[in-house]
Amino acid sequence: MSEERLWKFRKPEWMNSSMARSAGVYGAGALFALAFFVMLDASVWSHSALNGSDPPIHIKFIDWLPLIFSSLGMLIINSIEKTRLSADSFSYSGSGVAWKARVVLFLGFASLAGGMAGGVTVLVLKYVVPAAVFPTLYMGVANVMANALVMLSSVVLWISQNMEDEYAYNLAL
Amino acid sequence: MSAGLKTIISLSFILAIGFLLVILSCALFHQYLPLLVVATYVLAPLPNWICGRCSNPDDFGDGGGANAVMDFGKFCTGFLVVMGIALPGVLAHSEIIRIPAMMMSVIGGLLIYGTIISFGMFFQEEQEF
Repeated sequence: MSEERLWKFRKPEWMNSSMARSAGVYGAGALFALAFFVMLDASVWSHSALNGSDPPIHIKFIDWLPLIFSSLGMLIINSIEKTRLSADSFSYSGSGVAWKARVVLFLGFASLAGGMAGGVTVLVLKYVVPAAVFPTLYMGVANVMANALVMLSSVVLWISQNMEDEYAYNLAL
Repeated sequence: MSAGLKTIISLSFILAIGFLLVILSCALFHQYLPLLVVATYVLAPLPNWICGRCSNPDDFGDGGGANAVMDFGKFCTGFLVVMGIALPGVLAHSEIIRIPAMMMSVIGGLLIYGTIISFGMFFQEEQEF
């Protein structure tokens, strides 16, 4: 296993413990909650009395759409069985499972990146182009922030699921 | 025994203080939305518990199927714990509740959740022996 290493730096020992793994999963849930509540905060603020934008700008369904796509992408990416990705070189997993897994994974990543791009699009088209000033501009910034947090949560969940593989391997031996 | 009478009494005191803070944060300002924090923190340990029952930790060779259920439970618990802090923050940012009410409900919610978690830990230790 050590001869197949690609990188110069090895993974630190503590990353393989089961406690670090569950901490990563809890942290991913916390980050996802943070993303959802940043968006919800912008939405609630937009319909409260504090929103004094002169041509009235409100959070509509369009603003939620990037977050929905990001969450869908996160769901797809983390539902895939990671061990199937490298199964192509062995013939026992017939009918191209690895190929299918890569296609679905590509769809998931495309959805995640599309959500991020959609967040930036909403920020530019809805808030920057009509030259909104800061208390109003916050709604657009919150959109981008929520999508970035979903992405971060997805990364954390992916890393901790990969830790889980090593852990199971060590336990099986 | 670690879960003696003193522990139970002090835990129940802390639980009562937590409830007092949350209810005070609602009743002082006549805005009863922070009570949702209590519901959130009571629900927070449930996904872990349910998913722990659903998954069987013995079948390790199943491609991590059992672990996926456990991970989903942990994900939901993390979500709910942060929700208990973020909900008063959202309410305070839109000035539906005041800042002192937000602080009181956050502290009260954390006290309630800490009580629930430490109670569960004591019970688990008791079950092992």
